[in-house]
Amino acid sequence: MLTLFDLVVRSMRKNIKHYYLYFFALIFSVVLYFVFSTLEQDSAVLDRSGGSMGLAFKVAGILLILIAGIFVVYANAIFLKRRSREIGLYQLIGLSKNKVARLLIIENVLLSAGALIIGIGAGMLVSRLFLLLLMKLIGHEGFITVSFSLAAIIQTIIVFMVISTLTSIQMLFTVRRSTLLGLFNAEKKGEQPKKPRTFRSAVLALLGIGLIVFGYWLSGNMMNKWLLFNMLAVLASTILGTYLVFRVTISWLFYQIRSRKQGHLGLNNSLSLGSLMHRMKGNANSLTIITVLSAMTLTMLAGAYSLYYATEKVTRYVMPYDFMFDEDQQDEEWMERYGFNEVSVEEFEAGLKEKGIAYTTETIELLGVEGTYEKGVFPILIGKMEGIYNTYMVSAKQLQKAGFQVETPKSGTLLLHYAQWGSMLKDIKVPFEVNVTSIEPASAFTAVKYGAGDVVNASWGPQFVVNDADFEKYKSAMDQENMLNISEERVVRNVRVFNVADKGQLAIASGIRNQNRSEGSWSHGIDYYSMYEDSIKVNGLLIFIAGFLGLVFLISTGSILYFKQMTEAEQEKQSYATLRQLGFTVKDIMRGIIRKQVFVFGLPLLIGLLHSIFAIKSASFIFMSDITVPTAIAMGVYALIYLTFAFLTIGYYRKTVKAAL
Amino acid sequence: MNETIKTTKTVLHAQNVRKSFGTRSNVQQVLKGIDLRVAEGEFVGIMGASGAGKTTLLNVLATIDRTTEGSILIEGSDISKMKDAELSAFRRNKLGFIFQDYNLLDTLTVKENILLPISLGKMKKRVAEEEFNAIADILGIKELANKYPHEISGGQKQRTSAARALINKPSMVFADEPTGALDSKSASSLLGTLEDVNKKRGVTIMMVTHDPLASSYCSRIVFLKDGNIYSELYRGDKTRQVFFQEILKVQGVLGGDSVDTI
Ligand SMILES: Nc1ncnc2c1ncn2[C@@H]1O[C@H](COP(=O)(O)OP(=O)(O)OP(=O)(O)O)[C@@H](O)[C@H]1O
Ligand SMILES: [Mg+2]
Repeated sequence: MLTLFDLVVRSMRKNIKHYYLYFFALIFSVVLYFVFSTLEQDSAVLDRSGGSMGLAFKVAGILLILIAGIFVVYANAIFLKRRSREIGLYQLIGLSKNKVARLLIIENVLLSAGALIIGIGAGMLVSRLFLLLLMKLIGHEGFITVSFSLAAIIQTIIVFMVISTLTSIQMLFTVRRSTLLGLFNAEKKGEQPKKPRTFRSAVLALLGIGLIVFGYWLSGNMMNKWLLFNMLAVLASTILGTYLVFRVTISWLFYQIRSRKQGHLGLNNSLSLGSLMHRMKGNANSLTIITVLSAMTLTMLAGAYSLYYATEKVTRYVMPYDFMFDEDQQDEEWMERYGFNEVSVEEFEAGLKEKGIAYTTETIELLGVEGTYEKGVFPILIGKMEGIYNTYMVSAKQLQKAGFQVETPKSGTLLLHYAQWGSMLKDIKVPFEVNVTSIEPASAFTAVKYGAGDVVNASWGPQFVVNDADFEKYKSAMDQENMLNISEERVVRNVRVFNVADKGQLAIASGIRNQNRSEGSWSHGIDYYSMYEDSIKVNGLLIFIAGFLGLVFLISTGSILYFKQMTEAEQEKQSYATLRQLGFTVKDIMRGIIRKQVFVFGLPLLIGLLHSIFAIKSASFIFMSDITVPTAIAMGVYALIYLTFAFLTIGYYRKTVKAAL
Repeated sequence: MNETIKTTKTVLHAQNVRKSFGTRSNVQQVLKGIDLRVAEGEFVGIMGASGAGKTTLLNVLATIDRTTEGSILIEGSDISKMKDAELSAFRRNKLGFIFQDYNLLDTLTVKENILLPISLGKMKKRVAEEEFNAIADILGIKELANKYPHEISGGQKQRTSAARALINKPSMVFADEPTGALDSKSASSLLGTLEDVNKKRGVTIMMVTHDPLASSYCSRIVFLKDGNIYSELYRGDKTRQVFFQEILKVQGVLGGDSVDTI
């Protein structure tokens, strides 16, 4: 007499071909989750990546559990469908539904346990690799090891025990709800493309496209007081539109194309159009999810990579010189008042000389100005700004002498600089009028250009770059003490800027500059190098987490498509055999299949890319620099990895078609 | 022997065809040296007990499977020397198939299924449409053109399968138990059609069947036993009734499964 356990062992051995797919999905999820929780638990990692990033890890961890859970449940559903005939067979030979369910659940527990052991083992091997990558990204040099983390193991085991409980419940439900007839036909199930109710379908089909277009349009015009509401509307409209496109628009379009052919479909269309229409209803949901997930992932990756990519550039925008000293800092009394304890210019210069570091230095004068801007020139994002406060006038000549690349404005014109406004002002319409009223008589300038970045370090306000003559004119007017309503501290500010000749020596120079700086204290004169170090830590960790999540999303979506196509290939095996018997070569058949894959993989990618391009575009104001290049790179890499799944799928189909005869 | 057959053109000539399955240690010889000559316009039936090698022989002759030994010439070309791609083209252009289990593509309508074999050819749409109408008329499935396989009966599926086999005007049609799954009315209607096509269009047909009634439509029956040709039977000018009785006799000697067909 066979015990249930014997049966389990036998069926597992026989089903190894079906299992490996699900098993692989499980192992893969375990490995990635384990690696992530190892890094999360590793305190050394957190210290090096700037402490406060613990929260980012937490959020990413939760997302990861969610994705892993959905992915495993989905893979399990596909796996169960592939085995439905077998489940039916057990019932046919007289096992009760409960017994069959128990059998499946025992299998599931064994599989999950196996996947956990293998996954954690493999995770231990690869976590070092991921750690090295992370350290490289946050700019940490030197040797580090991953500490063995019991907490990570326990966390992984708990998470996957919960997931395997879920899949067990899923199995229970599948068996309970199944009918014998349904089980034997599950593999063949597919809907016959019905003639769509023309009017309703046409309306819905167009509505799908309309909703997406509306979402795109709104994403470019949502900067008003309804911002939050607009963002939700954009999301809802594009997602619903995407669903309608997959659910109605495409079926409708396919139907139109097909009926126009009047039965003369041709082999390529028979293998692509015919097969796609046969399963469109069942595939609409997963294609929508995959498209939306891809769009999300692409946006996240492109955003994080843009930040990382531009770290150096953006830091330079805020810190155009390697070092800067405020005149104030030379003032002992001032330093004491604000509790600063910084090296003086003299000490700094002595230090540089002692270490043999070549440098250039210059003094730049900043003159405080007030007044008004022409009405309505600033975008709504910055606010209805009209008054000029906190703003300095700078001479182009002085900047040029200090090594800052800037053109000399014509007399009566000025260049507006302010790094904080970043690309929000990218499209600002110049020229516009600037009225400087802090001197008597008030003078009008024309702003002719919005320049990139600040012209001095840590400026805390906009800067007007004018030519030397205008600068001197303003300065002498100030001397005559006809200043109006401007606070005394803001009138004039002299700063000393330093540039180190060999940027390789920046680290040493920064050490000299910050030698008195105690841990955690705020420094008035933070320098380029320190700021870069801090930013690269944050951005490096961000791109790491985004990349990690992106990889998980990508592999999950890619695998789901691959699994689904694998199942379809098996379902259509008989068709391929027939076609080959009818005299079509593998090559002929593959042409049609490739056409189908172009649709299955290409369309979600294409729509996902479009979505994310619009999403990134609407959020581009948060980036100080141009993001075209990093966005293109991130999207290219994503598409490349994604397309390998398409190639794997095509390979699987080729194998199936070849073996069909 | 019938003289007229000898003088007409030979479309298929199999010489010493052998076919084995299995690994080197466990070889099963299914065809043990078959010699067969089929003249143009013949309607050949192949009969024999289950496992006698009928399907295997048909597959080998129809270039779907390769022989282990021996040569097969169809219209003078030696198919055992052809490459796979050549064989495919040959099947597509010269041969037609009716399978026992229809082998229609679920995802395509009746019309789309029927038009498949000419889908790669350069045939004009108008010509193809005419071809389709002609063949669908003969087989009485014109009204089903836009239905999917799961929406039609077994007999209708089989007729669709037959239409697909005939659409490209093959010089030879192979049919493996085309009436196996049909009731007697559908069966005789399909067989009548095949006979018609054979007579009027001069298409050579080779049909595997268990059913003596079905084989009585043929002009010749080849009996297989354990991978060899056991005997042959020509209809000549005999009526179907007489031919049927003769077939029953041979089958009785052969043994096998004639019982279930009556
Ligand atoms: N692909 C194969 N591999 C191994 N053995 C095979 C294969 N195909 C057929 N055989 C064997 O060859 C023998 C003849 O098979 P075949 O299918 O030709 O019989 P048949 O005469 O068509 O029988 P039936 O009337 O039941 O269809 C059988 O014993 C079968 O087991
Ligand atoms: Mg057979």
